[in-house]
Amino acid sequence: MIRLQNVRKRYPGAETDVLCGIDLTIDSHDFVSLVGRSGSGKTTLLNVIGGLDRAFEGEVRVAGHDLQALRDAEISDFRNLTVGFVFQAYHLLDHLTCRENVALAALFTRGESRRDASLVRSRADELLDAVGLQGAGARSPSTLSGGERQRIAIARALFNRPQILLCDEPTGNLDTETGREVVDLLSVLHREREMTIVAATHDEGIATAGVRVLHMRDGLLEVGDGSER
Amino acid sequence: MIGRGWVRTVMKDLVRHWKHFAAAAVGIVLGVAALTFFLALSLQVRDLLLVQIFPADHLEVVPKSADINLFVLRLDLGRDTLDAAVLKDLAALDGVDAVYPKMRLTVPAVASGGSSIFGAGMQTEIVADGIDPQLVAEELKDAFHDVDTGSRGTPCSRGAQCGEDAYCDRAGGSGEGVCRPFVPVLVSPYVVELYNGAFRRAYNLPKLNPDALVGLTFEMTFGASTFRPAARAPIRERMRFVGVSDRAIPLGVTLPLGNVRHLNLVLDSPDAGERYHSAVIELRSKDAAPGVIDAVEAMGLEIRDRGARRAALAMAVIMVVLAIVGFVLIAVAAAHIMHVFYLVVMVRRREIGLLRAVGARRSDIRRLLMSEAAVVGIAAGLVGVAAGIAAGAIADVLAASRLPDFPFKPESFFDFSPWLLASVVALAVVACVLGALPPAIRAASGDPSEALAGR
Ligand SMILES: Nc1ncnc2c1ncn2[C@@H]1O[C@H](COP(=O)(O)OP(=O)(O)OP(=O)(O)O)[C@@H](O)[C@H]1O
Ligand SMILES: [Mg+2]
Repeated sequence: MIRLQNVRKRYPGAETDVLCGIDLTIDSHDFVSLVGRSGSGKTTLLNVIGGLDRAFEGEVRVAGHDLQALRDAEISDFRNLTVGFVFQAYHLLDHLTCRENVALAALFTRGESRRDASLVRSRADELLDAVGLQGAGARSPSTLSGGERQRIAIARALFNRPQILLCDEPTGNLDTETGREVVDLLSVLHREREMTIVAATHDEGIATAGVRVLHMRDGLLEVGDGSER
Repeated sequence: MIGRGWVRTVMKDLVRHWKHFAAAAVGIVLGVAALTFFLALSLQVRDLLLVQIFPADHLEVVPKSADINLFVLRLDLGRDTLDAAVLKDLAALDGVDAVYPKMRLTVPAVASGGSSIFGAGMQTEIVADGIDPQLVAEELKDAFHDVDTGSRGTPCSRGAQCGEDAYCDRAGGSGEGVCRPFVPVLVSPYVVELYNGAFRRAYNLPKLNPDALVGLTFEMTFGASTFRPAARAPIRERMRFVGVSDRAIPLGVTLPLGNVRHLNLVLDSPDAGERYHSAVIELRSKDAAPGVIDAVEAMGLEIRDRGARRAALAMAVIMVVLAIVGFVLIAVAAAHIMHVFYLVVMVRRREIGLLRAVGARRSDIRRLLMSEAAVVGIAAGLVGVAAGIAAGAIADVLAASRLPDFPFKPESFFDFSPWLLASVVALAVVACVLGALPPAIRAASGDPSEALAGR
């Protein structure tokens, strides 16, 4: 499902590589936890996998796409349809309702059926349901708690039924209890929707929820770790 | 990508950032208002000049670069004339009711007489042309018409025997003569003015009352010159003033067209009876003037006028200057829009990054921002146009109450024609969209990860 070969990246102006030749294969339906110290390059790696960052060297194939080779329209559609993103900072739009936030991807989906307003609405409500926020559709995200916001963000990531969910410290801003709920939600998604999930985290909870744990250090994935299959 | 959700997104963005956009729109509103005000003003004044103040229901068409016929006795027959085909084309133009050709006398002529006024007979070379009597039918009724000078008249011994419009021509002696008709003659008011104002003083002659001229007779010898021997036998006619008319040649005398044609044919060449040096166009309505003027100029001809077109040209120049000023205003406003949009996309950097992360293409981002700019442009354009119209209304009220009455004082000094308003609004939209283009391109560039990180 996801295959990286010798992926290198250096931020402009930086003296060392953030990613120093990463080789990585993730199969369908894997739930991978990406752990590592702050600054080890987890966010960067997720951005590369999700097509949010294409300034890298090496080969990245995700769901059959060679990300470097895609044109803007194609990589945009890839982000729209194939991957879902959950950010540590939620990145919800407060001027829209929760329902509109969840349905945001529909604005950029090509094809007639996806634009059907009532379909979009019912899909959004279904997802709000799935994350346990059925009543929040008309509210602004700014009126929600952190955990609720992150669940809205997860619902948004799921809108177009992506095969892959990329989560960058989804519980980083949450207390342990709320973080646990989010982790449980991810586990359910993994089990019931058979999604491929990659979650970067400092959170032991997520790390143990994942069936596979990858350790990052200084831009490299550490091999030979006990949880590596 | 155009759907209800999309429109709602644009509208919500506009509402959310209304302060920015309002600030951005101020320049456009001012520019549009100024442009609307001044263009409507100059349109109306130009209209007034062309259509009302100057009698533009008649136009005189001349060949391009033809000499003004002052003190020119012979025309260069090479090309400075209109022929029958051109006249036909002119008559076929939209908005033209009738075409009245004018023909210049192409042989020299000498006028003599005037002893009843001047005390002694005068003799002078004189320029003459012929006009269609129809052209002055309204002013002069039947007094001015073609006369048949060719056929032999009835014998006579005294003038009284020949009726009102003829005289007894006893050529060479005092014996039997024949009745011959007077050839009616017009002069322009300008000739009378010139005589009374200047010529008269030089020769110490009495001042003339134009009305008293009517009925005076004098003699003209066609094909004769005081300084050149005639090629053919000259023709002598007795002329009679029938009136003063604007349609007459500015300097010289004006005869009925048929008589001039006859003289040219007999004394010059067959061709000379078919060439016209100008034509008066009667317009269906005054409003047709601008269109006909354009069409005539497209035919390679010129319009002779009495300053109307120079005034209209001056107006056009003023309009162009105002338009340039307006364009500069709007260009400055567009630069302002650009700055504000740079600010807006900076403020919305993360949001735009998020849109990109959930699947917005670069083109979607550009379109989103430019749709917002277009809405700003429409709104600013409409407000600007409304402000311009309001300013015009105020100016009209002030003009009505403060300005003294003057001829042709219009009810409104502004012509807010729909196409003017529409194009000004369109200009505002174009300015806004163009202004927003560079920021939109900048916002859509780069990877979403950078924007999301706030970089
Ligand atoms: N845009 C950038 N320009 C320059 N350096 C950057 C940029 N983004 C990240 N870095 C650097 O790259 C390294 C890896 O950053 P990254 O965000 O991937 O780490 P991370 O593992 O996600 O850390 P954290 O756990 O704190 O989120 C860090 O040293 C960071 O300072
Ligand atoms: Mg990170």
